[in-house]
Amino acid sequence: MVQEINEPDINGGLTTVSYAVNEQDQFELVSGHSWQPVNVANHKAWLEIEKKVAAAKKEIAAGRKSCLHYYMTANQMDCGLLAGYTKQSRLMVRLHLSPLIFKRLSRPTLTKYAELFKVTIEDLQNGILREAVYRH
Amino acid sequence: MHDVAPRQIEFTHRQSAHCESGVAANLLTHNGLEVSEAMAFGIGGGIFFGYLPFIRLNGLPLITYRAAAGRILKKIASISGVSMRTIKFSNKQKAMAELDAVLAEGVPVGLQTGVFWLPYFPRALRFHFNAHNLVVYGKEDDAYLISDPVFPMVVRCPAADLERARFASGALAPKGKMYFIEKVPSQLDFEPYIRSSIQSVCKMMLASPFPLIGIKGIHFLARRLEKWPDRLGNENAALHLGQVVRMQEEIGTGGGGFRFMYGAFLQESAHLMGEPLLDDCAKTLTQAGDAWRAFAVMAARICKERPQKGDSYEAMTSQMHQCGKLEEEVFQNLQEIVRQ
Repeated sequence: MVQEINEPDINGGLTTVSYAVNEQDQFELVSGHSWQPVNVANHKAWLEIEKKVAAAKKEIAAGRKSCLHYYMTANQMDCGLLAGYTKQSRLMVRLHLSPLIFKRLSRPTLTKYAELFKVTIEDLQNGILREAVYRH
Repeated sequence: MHDVAPRQIEFTHRQSAHCESGVAANLLTHNGLEVSEAMAFGIGGGIFFGYLPFIRLNGLPLITYRAAAGRILKKIASISGVSMRTIKFSNKQKAMAELDAVLAEGVPVGLQTGVFWLPYFPRALRFHFNAHNLVVYGKEDDAYLISDPVFPMVVRCPAADLERARFASGALAPKGKMYFIEKVPSQLDFEPYIRSSIQSVCKMMLASPFPLIGIKGIHFLARRLEKWPDRLGNENAALHLGQVVRMQEEIGTGGGGFRFMYGAFLQESAHLMGEPLLDDCAKTLTQAGDAWRAFAVMAARICKERPQKGDSYEAMTSQMHQCGKLEEEVFQNLQEIVRQ
C-alpha cells in the first residue's frame, strides 16, 4: 500500500465526499480527506509548475525574457491562454515576452496585464515578480 | 449602509461528489423533485471513457472518465415536464446583471465557471479547468452566496472574482453560462429515462467507431502507457501517469473514475425498477472501480519513485486491460437488461 507516502492533503483539510460500498453491499456517500495516490499525482504536477517558474525567473534575470514571461508561467498560462484573456493575438503576446518590446508597451496594454495578474503597472514596469494570483 | 435587504433564497446545500450532477440534483430537489446525485449522474449519462491526446491540459493529454461537460444538465433539461433556461453572454456586465435579476425573483441560478479564479478553492486545485458548476443562491454586500456542490458548506465569493470565473478563457470557456429551472413535474416515472440513458451509455462504451473512446479507448491507453518510458523518458512518463491518476481520482470524481458513482446509480435503479440484475452490474462495476484504484495506487508509487516489487509500466498496462475487461462485461450485461 502507500502508507509510507505522505503527501500534504491537496484539498487543504477540506472534506469531500465519495462513494463507497458498506457492509450491506450498498453504496453510500462517505466524507473524508483526499486519497493519498491523488495527493501524490497532484503534488507531482505542482513540482513541475514550480520547475517552470524557476526556469522563467532565470531567463528574466539573464535578460532574455520580460517579466511577463514569469507572470504567465506562474499563473499556469501559455501564450494562447494569455492572448485569450487579454483579447490580443498570440503573436502579440509572444512579442511582449521580449524585454525590449515589453519596455515600450503602452499604458492600456500594461493595464490589461496588470489587471489580469492582480499587480500594479509599476510592478510590471519595474520587473517586480509578485506571487501568482492563486497565492494572494 | 444598504437600502436593499440582502437577497437570499432558502436553498438546501447537499454536498456531492461531482459538480455537474450535484448541481443538477440540488436544483431539481429545490424545485420539489427529489433526486439523488447518483440518479442525476446516471440519467444524465455521466459515465464515459476517452483518451484524447490531441487535447492538452498543461501540456498533458486529456483522459476523461466522464461525459462531455454540460451533457448531464442537457439530458436533465430534456426530461419531459422539466423546463430549464440556459443563457450565455458575451458581455460581462449583462451577465452579472441578469444573474442578479434572476436571483431577485427568488430563483437559484446554476453557473458554469473556471476554478482558477475562485478564491475559495483550495490552492492545490486552482488549475485552468473551466467546466466547474455551482449554484448561486443569494447576494450579500458585494459577495455572492454559493452552494458549491463539492464543498461541505456553502461559501462566499466576491462579485469581481465570480465575474472572472464566469468569463474564464481557454478550453471549455464558460462564456458566462447560467441556467435555472423554470418548471419541474411534481412526480416523475424514472424508469424510461433510466433505460434510455443506460442504452446510450452502452452505445458509447461498446460501439463507438473511434478507437480512443469507450472500452476500446481503455485498451488503447493501456497499450500506449507501456511505451511511455521509452517514448517520453522516465520523468515525462511519470507526469503523464500522474495526469491519468488525477483525472481519475481528483475532486469531483466520487472515486474510481466515476465508476463508484455510476454503481450507486445502478443500485438505486435496481430498487426503483425491481430489477436485481442491475444490482449485479453494480457489483461488477464496483470491481472495475477497485481495479482502477489498484492501478492508481501502483501509478502513485511509480510517480513517487518508490516502486515495490512487481510495479512496472507493464504491470500497469495489464491492470488497465483488466479494468477494460470488467467494464466490457458490465456494459454488455447492461445492454441485455435494458433491451428486454
